[in-house]
Amino acid sequence: MALLQISEPGMSTAPHEHRLAVGIDLGTTNSLVASVRSGVAEILCDSEGNALLPSVVRYLENGATEVGKKAQDNQLEDLPNTISSAKRLLGRGIKDLKTLGGSLPYEFATASSSSHGTESNVPQIKTVAGNKTAIEVSAEILKTLKQRAEESLGGELKGAVITVPAYFDDAQRQATKDAARLADLKVFRLLNEPTAAAVAYGLDQKEELSERIIAVYDLGGGTFDISILKLNKGVFEVMATGGDSALGGDDFDHAIAEWILEEALLEDTHNTKIHRKAMIEARRVKEALTDNDEVTVNLEDWQGSLSRSQFDEMVAPLVKKTLMACRRALRDSNLDKDQVHDVVMVGGSTRMPVVREKVGEFFGQPPLVDIDPDKVVAIGAALQADVLAGNKPDAEMLLLDVIPLSLGLETYGGLVEKVITRNTTIPITRAQEFTTFKDNQTAMTVHILQGERETVEENRSLAKFALKGIPPMVAGAARIKVTFQVDADGLLNVHAEEETTGAKAGVEVKPSYGLTDSEIEGMIRDSMDNAQADMEARKLREQLVEADRTLEALDSAMASDADRMLNDEEKKTLLAARSELMEAKYISKDAESVKAAIKNMEKVAEFYVARRMDDNVKKAMAGHNVDEFNK
Amino acid sequence: MLDFKQSYFELFGLPEDYNIDPSVLANSFRELQAKYHPDRFVNSDEQERRVAVQTTGFINEANETLKSSRLRARYMLQLKGVDFDDEIDTTSDGMFLLHQMEMREALEDVPNAKDPIARVDDIAHDVEAQMDVLKESFVEHFAAEKYAEAKEDVLKMKFFERLCQEVKTLTEKLEDEMF
Repeated sequence: MALLQISEPGMSTAPHEHRLAVGIDLGTTNSLVASVRSGVAEILCDSEGNALLPSVVRYLENGATEVGKKAQDNQLEDLPNTISSAKRLLGRGIKDLKTLGGSLPYEFATASSSSHGTESNVPQIKTVAGNKTAIEVSAEILKTLKQRAEESLGGELKGAVITVPAYFDDAQRQATKDAARLADLKVFRLLNEPTAAAVAYGLDQKEELSERIIAVYDLGGGTFDISILKLNKGVFEVMATGGDSALGGDDFDHAIAEWILEEALLEDTHNTKIHRKAMIEARRVKEALTDNDEVTVNLEDWQGSLSRSQFDEMVAPLVKKTLMACRRALRDSNLDKDQVHDVVMVGGSTRMPVVREKVGEFFGQPPLVDIDPDKVVAIGAALQADVLAGNKPDAEMLLLDVIPLSLGLETYGGLVEKVITRNTTIPITRAQEFTTFKDNQTAMTVHILQGERETVEENRSLAKFALKGIPPMVAGAARIKVTFQVDADGLLNVHAEEETTGAKAGVEVKPSYGLTDSEIEGMIRDSMDNAQADMEARKLREQLVEADRTLEALDSAMASDADRMLNDEEKKTLLAARSELMEAKYISKDAESVKAAIKNMEKVAEFYVARRMDDNVKKAMAGHNVDEFNK
Repeated sequence: MLDFKQSYFELFGLPEDYNIDPSVLANSFRELQAKYHPDRFVNSDEQERRVAVQTTGFINEANETLKSSRLRARYMLQLKGVDFDDEIDTTSDGMFLLHQMEMREALEDVPNAKDPIARVDDIAHDVEAQMDVLKESFVEHFAAEKYAEAKEDVLKMKFFERLCQEVKTLTEKLEDEMF
């Protein structure tokens, strides 16, 4: 039993109270949460011991959500309602969807007015639970991580540091912060991912050099990023970023899978099941080759083996592609390879020995690999969160960021005038004066843009607003002062005012691709309503809906092809399971027994589902050749 | 709270002189940031955090100004009451403008040279040398309180700044074509 503590009134908080703070790596494929406990940063796992939370959210009809592994497992059966890679959509407008490729399997709502009544440019994905934005999807992931952290740390979080890619623009950063707000998570700071990785290795603590150049090589499942950082007396500056948004570990799997199919003389097969098996085997072989020089490979009846050197040769073009991007990034930052002091490896795909070797050769030094490359970003974020929470009052660490892209205004003739140039240390406030170009002009449009190009079309439009109520004057007499304020997270606020008459007409701006405050408030209200609903009743409702779906799916399948695909015995087994489920649905009043009946139904019907899937695949593939399925 | 009325030189404890010691600037910039950065106030109230953003904004602006040879010169004139907008104001020195046009033409001609990279490097060195001459000229004019002439020097620096940018863009383009 704890002893009672007696304290003077007003002195109740202990001076060394540890404030709970976490670092969150909100990734495209996976997300992680980490925290500093007893001075050491560690990843917080879920109850089953998993560190990675797949960044996948599935919406169910009753408004409930599945997040992570569960959503991922069900993805193929419920594609339109299961949203993955939401990070690619964060801060993007409806117009951007085209450039992101038609590969997204979702249906987007066509009307731009949101469910919260206000006009918005944010793309909305249609789901059974209503329209959802990438911000809401990301908020679900953050909520799950927050809950995981609070359960494992045993208390309420004071705040979090969330990492973002260095090249994220204002709208994407704002969207990330909005997602945190929806998840009721206080953001201490948005931190650049490569900076977080450098912090994890304590590179900011090394004082022997006044200036360090750090290259952060980040090869994930589907993306590659290279960042060149300059660390000067605690100031991290992003000098250049580059990469390939469509190159990652999956491409290495593809290379092996193609080889396997060729060797097994199956390259012409139309069987997607074999292709899927080849991909799974390829992934296993790739991972096994990290610790072995030679690995046995199996596919159907064929057996062979793949050596490390064969594999290295096979994927050499892919590695070379990443090194070309490194070369470009170095040139963008006006540096030579030999000026780089440290090379930090991030992302699961950097475990491949061939990647480490070639990167080492390129930079002329072995890369840093001691920290698990999947976890290094979250660990760096946790260290920063611990300092910001005030748990290390003597800590010297101060990370100063720069703005990654220039901010400017549209001027006459569709040109952009830069007000704050990129690589300016933030926070910063800067004002620029403008004037009217017509007599008696009483209004003026202020158009804010981000990017490095000369013309409006080539830059990203952040916001547009009208300054009204300018007193009538001759052209050129009015003095309109436009003030840009960028905070420590790289988020922008713009005000405009007419100065000569003292008449103020200031406006606060939100990026065009973000959500308005009222939209966010509406979403927060909605999520609170959900939380207040009786949890048990909700669970039961969820399961009843799920039961209906299962029954419906079975009935419609059997109506269409039971006679063709099932014998009498099989039909009988299925119908028996069906009536058990019906009984559970009507009689039992708790979620668990309904869930068990559903599970049973699914298990019994497994063979039938597989048989139908094969049948569908056969139909879909008729008339196609294998090359179409390779990419 | 920081005094927003003091000059940028006073803020960093530097003498009001064009030739500054970059390491003194960098060190005192870091000390000020460590004290006033918003990261030091994440647990404070709204008002204190707003002040922190404004204070570091002031420190960053001062640092950017003193770091740049052109902005530093312009700021020193501003302290002497010579205020101007170099986006609108421009030099009227005809000879200088003619010379600028020649330099630009030389730059456009680079791709036709026998060794374009060597040629662009030559031009880059030339631009740097001329920029150094301008800096010295500014220091002399300023010391002699010839502010109108000093202002001319600053306006000319702006041309060289743009020229430097163009040289850099061209170099990158040439290198890209090589690979």
